[in-house]
Amino acid sequence: MAEVNVIKVSKQYGESRALDDVSIRFAEGGLYGLLGPSGSGKTTLLRMIAGFVFPDSGQIRIDDQPVERLPVERREIGMVFQNYALFPNMNVADNVAFGLSVRHVDKSEIKRRVGEVLDLVQLGSLHGRRINQLSGGQRQRVALARAIVTRPRVLLLDEPLSALDKSLRVDMQVELRRIQRDVAITTVFVTHDQEEALTLSDRVGILRDGRLIQEGTARELYDQPASEFAATFLGDANILSGRLETGGMRVDDGSLIRFGVRSTVSNQTKCAVRPEKIALQRATGEAVPSAHNRLTAQVAHHVFAGVNTTYMLDWCGKRLKVHVQNSGDDLIPVGSQVTLSWSPDSTILVH
Amino acid sequence: MKQDNTIGSLELDSPVLSNAPHTPRRRMWSVGAVLAAIGYGYVVVMIGFLYLPILVMALMSANASPLYELPFHFTTHWYQALAEDGVLKAAAFRSIEIALWTTLLSTILGVMASLAFFRYDFAGKRFLQAMLFPPMAIPWLITGTAMLIFFFAIGIGRGLHAILLGHVALALPYVIIVVGARLRTFSPELELAARSLGASGWQITWRVTLPAIAPGVVAGALFAFAVSFDQFVVSYFLSDPGETTLPVEIYSAIRKGFTPEINAISTIIIVVSMGTMLIVSRLYRFGGEQ
Amino acid sequence: MKFALSSPQGRPLVRAMTLAGPAYVWLLLAVFLPLSVMLFYSFMSDVPTSGGNWSLTFQNYLTFFDEPLYRKLMVRSLGLSAQVTLICTVLGFPCAYMLAKVIRGRTREALFLLIILPFWSNGLVRIFSWNMVLRSGGVVDWVLNHLWPWTVNTDLMFSYPAIVIGLVHSYLPYSVLTAYLSLQAIDDSLIEAARSMGAGRLTILRRLILPLAMPGMLAGAVLTFVPVVGAFMEPRLLGGRKGTFIGTVIEDQFVAVFNWPLGAALSFTLLALVLAILFAGMRLSRRKDK
Repeated sequence: MAEVNVIKVSKQYGESRALDDVSIRFAEGGLYGLLGPSGSGKTTLLRMIAGFVFPDSGQIRIDDQPVERLPVERREIGMVFQNYALFPNMNVADNVAFGLSVRHVDKSEIKRRVGEVLDLVQLGSLHGRRINQLSGGQRQRVALARAIVTRPRVLLLDEPLSALDKSLRVDMQVELRRIQRDVAITTVFVTHDQEEALTLSDRVGILRDGRLIQEGTARELYDQPASEFAATFLGDANILSGRLETGGMRVDDGSLIRFGVRSTVSNQTKCAVRPEKIALQRATGEAVPSAHNRLTAQVAHHVFAGVNTTYMLDWCGKRLKVHVQNSGDDLIPVGSQVTLSWSPDSTILVH
Repeated sequence: MKQDNTIGSLELDSPVLSNAPHTPRRRMWSVGAVLAAIGYGYVVVMIGFLYLPILVMALMSANASPLYELPFHFTTHWYQALAEDGVLKAAAFRSIEIALWTTLLSTILGVMASLAFFRYDFAGKRFLQAMLFPPMAIPWLITGTAMLIFFFAIGIGRGLHAILLGHVALALPYVIIVVGARLRTFSPELELAARSLGASGWQITWRVTLPAIAPGVVAGALFAFAVSFDQFVVSYFLSDPGETTLPVEIYSAIRKGFTPEINAISTIIIVVSMGTMLIVSRLYRFGGEQ
Repeated sequence: MKFALSSPQGRPLVRAMTLAGPAYVWLLLAVFLPLSVMLFYSFMSDVPTSGGNWSLTFQNYLTFFDEPLYRKLMVRSLGLSAQVTLICTVLGFPCAYMLAKVIRGRTREALFLLIILPFWSNGLVRIFSWNMVLRSGGVVDWVLNHLWPWTVNTDLMFSYPAIVIGLVHSYLPYSVLTAYLSLQAIDDSLIEAARSMGAGRLTILRRLILPLAMPGMLAGAVLTFVPVVGAFMEPRLLGGRKGTFIGTVIEDQFVAVFNWPLGAALSFTLLALVLAILFAGMRLSRRKDK
C-alpha cells in the first residue's frame, strides 16, 4: 500500500476545465470516496491517478514517486471498471490470473494466489466458470479479485456499486469494506451516490465543476459543510440567506438566527439547517427554549412516511422542509401557522 | 503544447495508444503515435490498392489509344461508340429491367418473410432461418448450374424468365437479413398498441410497421438491385445466347478481344453501383452505429 | 420480447406460413429442388433430353478418382483459395483494427465507406480493370519504366499471380468488414483493464484482441474461401491458358462439352469437399473455445 498525493492538478479539454487546480492526499491504507455530480471531474481524476489521462499541469505522486508521466502499464495500480471489463474469452481463473501471467509469475505461484484471492472474495468454487455465466454481483467480485491479486499500490474503483440492484448494493458495501480492510491497499472510488460515499469511505472529497469543494470524514462533511452545494448535495438542508451581524445572521423576515460557538465566521451570506434538527410547534404549543432560533411559517403540505413525516412550509416566499419523527401525535393540518425552532448549534454557516 | 490529444482524428488518448507524455521539452512522438501513423498510412495504401484498377480503367475509358496505351489523350470517343453500340445498350436495358423486377419481387417476398419471423414464434422457425444460408454459402457456380439443369428438366429452359427466377432466389436471403436487422430495432409493442386500438392485421402492417422499417426496406431493395444487376455467374449459365444481360455480354466481349467501349460501359457501371451504395449507406448508417 | 399475434383466423403457425411461404416456395423451386435434381443428374450416364439411353451410374464420380487431372485441379483450386483467403485475412486485419480502434469520428465513417464501396460494384468489371494495370504497356509497366533506368517489360497478365491479385482485390472488403465488426464489439474498457494490469501492446493483441476478433475473421475467411474455390471467371480473364481450375472445368462441362452429368458430379464433389473443410474448421474452433 502507498500514499497517493495529488498536487495542484489541472486538465483542460478544449473549452472546458475538467480539473482545476485540485490537490488531495490519500493516506496509506485508507478507503476514499470521490463524490460529485456528473461532469464534476471525479472520473477524470480517478483515470488520471490510474494513468489513462495525463494532467496538463501538477503532480501525482505514489509513495512519494512522481508518476504523472508514467503510462498506466507501469504504475502498478489495480482498477475495477464500471462495467467490470472482464475478458469474455477467458474463464474466471484466467481473468484473475491475467495480471500475474503478464508479470511472468511462476505457474504454481499463480494458482496459489488466484485461489487465495478468490477465497477472499468468496468465489472459490467458481474459478472454472465462463464470464457470461456469472451474475452481476459475481462479476463484480471477479473484477475486484483481478485487480488486487497483483498486490497493487493503489486500488481504484469506478462507480463500483452503480450497476448492482438495491439489495445487492447494501451487501456489497459491507463486503467491499471487509475486503479492503483485509488487503489494506490504499483505495479510491468514485461515485455520484452520496449515501454510498458516506457509508463506504473513511474520508470523502466532494468535486464540482472540476474543483475540490470540500474534503473530510463523513461526519465532518455532514455536520459542517462549508458551502451551500456541499450542504445540499450531501443530505438535505434548508438554506436561509441573510447578512452577518454581531450575534447572528439577519434573515429575510427580520429574525436573527444565532449559530453555535463551533462555527467559523468568514463573510458567509447564507446559513443552513438540516430538516431533522428542526422542531415544529403549533401556535398554541409549548414554549420553546429561549436560546433556540425561532421562525414562523405556514404548513404547505405534509407527507407521512411511517418512520417520520416531512412537512413542507411556506416562509417568506420560500419552501422549508422539516422531518418530524413519528411520536404518535396528530399531523398538523395544512394551512396551520407553526413555529420552527432549533438549537444555535444546528445552524451551519455556508458560502 | 496540444490541448486535446489528437493528431488529425487519431486519438492519442485512445486506450490503445496513449503513451504520449505531455511536456514541451520531450519529443511529441511516442511509440504509440508512430504506430498509429504507420497504421494510418497502411489504411491509405490499402484504399489505394482497392481503387487503383478502377481509376485506371476510368482513365482509360477516356483515353484515345485503342490499345490502352499511355500517354494520355482525352477523348469521349469511346462513350460515343458505346451510345451507338446496339448490343451493349440492349443488354444494359435488359439488365436493368431484370434488376427492377428482381427488386420488386424479392423485396415483397422478403419483407413478408421477415415480418413472419419477427412476429411469430413457431415450430421450424429456426430451421427456416438456417435455410437462408445455403443459397448464400454455396458457390454460385454450383447454384447456377443446378438451376440450369432443373429448368431444363421441367421445361422452362434458359432465358430471361429463368434469369429472373434465379436472381430473385439469390437476392431473397439478403433482403430478409437486412430487413430482419432493421426489425430488431422496431418495438413489437407498437403493433400491440395498434391492435388494441382496433386496427386489423393488414392496417397494422401498412400504417405502423412498414413506415417504421422503411429505411431497412429501401436498403434491402437496393441490395436486391445490386445483387441482380451485378450478377454474372448465374446469368451466364441461364442466358440465351441471343438475349443476355450486361455482365454476360461484357464477358463475351472481353473474351473476344478488346474494344475500349468495354472500359466506358464498365466505368459507368461502377459509378452507378457505387453511387447507389452511397445512398444506401446514408439510409442505413454503416460503420458507426450498426 | 416475442408475442404471438394470435388472431381469430388461425394459430401463429398458419399466419407465419402465409407470410413466409411465398419466399420459401421460391427458394425451394429455384435453389433446393435444382440442387436435388442436380444430385440426381450426377448419377446419370447421359443427358436425358438427347433421346439416348440413360441409366444410373457411379461413373461420373469414379471419373474424379480415375482421372488424376481432376484431383490435381481440385487441389490447385483449394490451394488458390487458401492462398487468397490467407492474404485477405492478413492484409485486412490491420486495416480493420485501425478503423475499429484507432481512427474515430467522421474520418472513420468516410474511410470505412471507401473500403466497402468497391465491393458493391460489379465483380466482373473490377476483375477486368486489372487488365489495364497488369498488362505489358499497362500502369505497372509504365510506372516501373519511369522509375527504373532499365527497360522492364512486366507482363503480369495471364499468369497465376494475376489471378491471385484479382481475387484478393475482389474479396479484401469482406475480410475488412467481418474483422471490423468483431473488433468493434470489443469494449475499450477491456483494453484499458488489460493495460491497468501491466500488459503491453503485443500481449494485449495476442491474448485479448485476436481471440475476440477470431469469430469475425473466421466468418470472413469462409466468405472468401467458398466462392473462390468455385471461381472460373477470374481465372479465365486473368489467367488465360494458365487459368485452369476445377471451376473452369465444371463450367466447360456445361457450356462447351455438354457433359452435364459429369459437371454435376464434379460440382457435388467440390461441394462435399468444401463442406468437409468448413466442418473441420468449425470443430477446430469449438475445441479451442473449451
